Amino acid sequence: MTDRATAVETRSLTRSYGTGRRGGSEVYALRGVDLSVGQGEVHGLLGPNGAGKTTLCRILSTILLPTSGTARIMGRDVVRDADAVKRCIGIVFGGDRGLYGRLTVGDNLRFWAALYGLRGTGLRRRCQALLERMGLAHRADDRVDTLSRGMKQRLHLARGLVADPPLLILDEPTVGMDPVAAQDFRVLVDGLRADGRTILLTTHDMAEAEAVCDRVSLVDHGRIIATRAPAGIGALISRYERIEARGVPAEVAAALPDIPGVVTVRAAAGERLRIETEDTSATRAVLRRLVAEDVTEVATSRPTLEEVYLHLIGERGMTVER
Amino acid sequence: MLARLALPAHVVRHSAANAFADMRAIYTWRTWTFGWLGRMLAQVTFFVLLGRVVAGPEHATYLVIGNALMTCVIESLTVVASTTWERTAGTLALLAAAPAGPTWVFLGRSLQWPVSGTGTSLVALFLLGPFFGVTWRPEHIPVAALLVVLTAAGTYCFGLFLAALVLNAGRLRNVVPGVTALLMMAFCGVQVPIGYWPSWIGRIADIVPLTHLLHALRALTEDASSGYVFARAALGLLVGVFWLVMAHLAFESLLHRGRRRGTVDFDP
Ligand SMILES: Nc1ncnc2c1ncn2[C@@H]1O[C@H](COP(=O)(O)OP(=O)(O)OP(=O)(O)O)[C@@H](O)[C@H]1O
Ligand SMILES: [Mg+2]
Repeated sequence: MTDRATAVETRSLTRSYGTGRRGGSEVYALRGVDLSVGQGEVHGLLGPNGAGKTTLCRILSTILLPTSGTARIMGRDVVRDADAVKRCIGIVFGGDRGLYGRLTVGDNLRFWAALYGLRGTGLRRRCQALLERMGLAHRADDRVDTLSRGMKQRLHLARGLVADPPLLILDEPTVGMDPVAAQDFRVLVDGLRADGRTILLTTHDMAEAEAVCDRVSLVDHGRIIATRAPAGIGALISRYERIEARGVPAEVAAALPDIPGVVTVRAAAGERLRIETEDTSATRAVLRRLVAEDVTEVATSRPTLEEVYLHLIGERGMTVER
Repeated sequence: MLARLALPAHVVRHSAANAFADMRAIYTWRTWTFGWLGRMLAQVTFFVLLGRVVAGPEHATYLVIGNALMTCVIESLTVVASTTWERTAGTLALLAAAPAGPTWVFLGRSLQWPVSGTGTSLVALFLLGPFFGVTWRPEHIPVAALLVVLTAAGTYCFGLFLAALVLNAGRLRNVVPGVTALLMMAFCGVQVPIGYWPSWIGRIADIVPLTHLLHALRALTEDASSGYVFARAALGLLVGVFWLVMAHLAFESLLHRGRRRGTVDFDP
């Protein structure tokens, strides 16, 4: 057994897919992922399309075998001890597939409860409690086909919770939801954190990650390139400090890149100029210059998660590598 | 032992809720009776009349028994197509991640077909049969009904095995049950006695539950000894169980391969 306080632990986890074509090279979806998620932690996986997030979730869910490396959940190996692992995870994959449209909401949930070994009054009570918690009790006898997407996603969450698992794996749970539904969903996730559950969550929504995650891992090209708490993630790129200013005369703007330590100068929304600098002394130099030019609408800020993401991943621009 | 069987039975029951929800979505009592049942009775009648013209009126009884039992075979084989609906629903990955095995889920998932098929065959045998010279002694009726149930169940198990093979080849989902039914009609003693064909075909037909159960049903109507009828019925049951075990192995290996190749949730 590994450390009891660790819910998810992967070591050099690697997964490649054959291309299916003869002579075609392998696609590496994961290349040596080391991830450690503590019990009770809400951990976000962020990364561009094709980074390997879903592949990681699938391996942890026991529905995909790693090519090499190991993964343990609550100390149990996902390959050798898959049966035990299945009982301690709940999985929710985004999108509106994965439910039986012709069955009622209640029957869907009871079906999955039966698959996880619940029966009799225990099964009925658990399903009823979950439907109430997810705000679906009033729709229990309606066919799933008649639910909105947000409701379906809440039913998915109820399904994921049916066996009362200590670990939940949510792969893009809010994809396709309107902002209000997504917000409601986050509140539910917060409640699950309060239960003491560990949650592994993939998302493309930076605000969502910032709002619900204790820590996030940035994933790119099958590797984890950084793991930090969202609040402190700016430290990853702290040499890039940011200044935004409004009403900067063009000739001043043109001169800014010449100040030592200025990394980029570019136009931002609202006729603003965004200047990024390597260090605090460069920031000071830029501020002095702007104030000298009578530019008074100036603000400095720490990079947000979104900006860190864009710096570390998005800076590659639109290069298509695979 | 009982406790070990209780859980699968429980899973089958909840999975069957899904089967009957599908059934209700496809048929009402009215459309089942006048649509499905009517169509199948017409098909039985067609084969019987055709056989009378081609081979002579003395074959009518033979043909009506074979074709009446065949209706539950045709319907039970629909499991091949409906199992692939699980792919469309996108639930296969979730099933693969659940502790209960896929076999029990799929066993319950399409139960509407053997149940409906049993109904069709019973109507065909007991209502249509007498029009073509079949006479039912009262004490034969429960035995004949049991043979119908066993045929539907055994064919369903055989169909589950085919379904496990077809699950990764979705385009075949309607071709496979169709061709299988045609082969059974030709070679398992439905339209012509098995002895009509070379003996190796008979040996292959022996691995089909229908072959034994139809034989038992014919023996029953010909007043064979009850020992003989039960022996053939038991053989049919055994072959059905064999296919259930094969289906179980096929589903397990399908998921294992899916895990290795990354194809659990899509049709490769
Ligand atoms: N079953 C598969 N067979 C072959 N290649 C696959 C398979 N699944 C994923 N891949 C490839 O593996 C890589 C990682 O895919 P994955 O789905 O894990 O990315 P992701 O981070 O979840 O992306 P997204 O944000 O788009 O959901 C991609 O290049 C993808 O094309
Ligand atoms: Mg993904």
